[in-house]
Amino acid sequence: MSSMFTRNDKGPETPPAPAAKPGERTEPAPTPQATAEPVKRPLASAQPIAAASPRGVSVISRALKITGQLESSEDIQIEGEVNGDVRAAVVRVGAGAKVNGTVSGEEVELSGTIEGKIEAKKVVLTSSAHMEGDIVHQDIAIQSGAYIAGRLQPEYGKTNVQPLKAKAE
Amino acid sequence: MFAQTRKTADEHEQPPSHVGRGLKVTGVLDIDGDLYVAGTVSGRINAHRVVLSPESNVEGDVVANEVHLEGRFNGRIFALAVTVESSANVTGKIFHNTVSVARGARVDGRMPWRPPSYFETLTQLPETRP
Repeated sequence: MSSMFTRNDKGPETPPAPAAKPGERTEPAPTPQATAEPVKRPLASAQPIAAASPRGVSVISRALKITGQLESSEDIQIEGEVNGDVRAAVVRVGAGAKVNGTVSGEEVELSGTIEGKIEAKKVVLTSSAHMEGDIVHQDIAIQSGAYIAGRLQPEYGKTNVQPLKAKAE
Repeated sequence: MFAQTRKTADEHEQPPSHVGRGLKVTGVLDIDGDLYVAGTVSGRINAHRVVLSPESNVEGDVVANEVHLEGRFNGRIFALAVTVESSANVTGKIFHNTVSVARGARVDGRMPWRPPSYFETLTQLPETRP
């Protein structure tokens, strides 16, 4: 983490197009005393990160690593690494992604790796899926090539498994 | 350092990380890139750039090069460049090198200035929160 700051005083900044797109953001207009700024730091290019994905859908990209819990009333797409439990309406674990913990929801689609447990009404394991742990489901699809080490229990909704309480805030 | 690799290799295939509106994350988010938060985070965020959108509600520590604050925040920010937008509601400390605060933003707390070297050597957060 320390390394992320190391490049800052090394001459010209590497991020391209600092002023190319001022974007839609009009708010951060520091009208008074633009000269009072001690160093013109290109970092401060008020270039917004575009909210590329549609509202509500959460994306855990490949570079992101989360340690902790994720809980959503909507969909989550995981391409990175999660150490902890994930709970959402629809959870997609992409190829290359890794989850250590319980993944629960209405629907879980696994193309990556889960070490833990899946609790979902509908479970889809694609050919690149790697599942270590039990799967509690009601409806399951397994493609040829998927790796499963664990039990399949068609007991979702019958036992103490709580269905997801969808509640948008 | 990771700026080029990320932009050239990743950008077209990788969507930026997005904590959506319905998502609540408790824990540590560690990313070598950009993070857009519209949901709720309590814990810690380590990133290159962070945008906390108007709907966001973040509690804890944010360590980044660049932070855009538009939502509700409670905790500490450690960033070279901080932009507090008018919709922001901040409680806590903003450790910064450059900061801008838009008219209308609600800021309750301190904004200590630090030299760039402070952020370079920031491997461990200096003090725990009271």
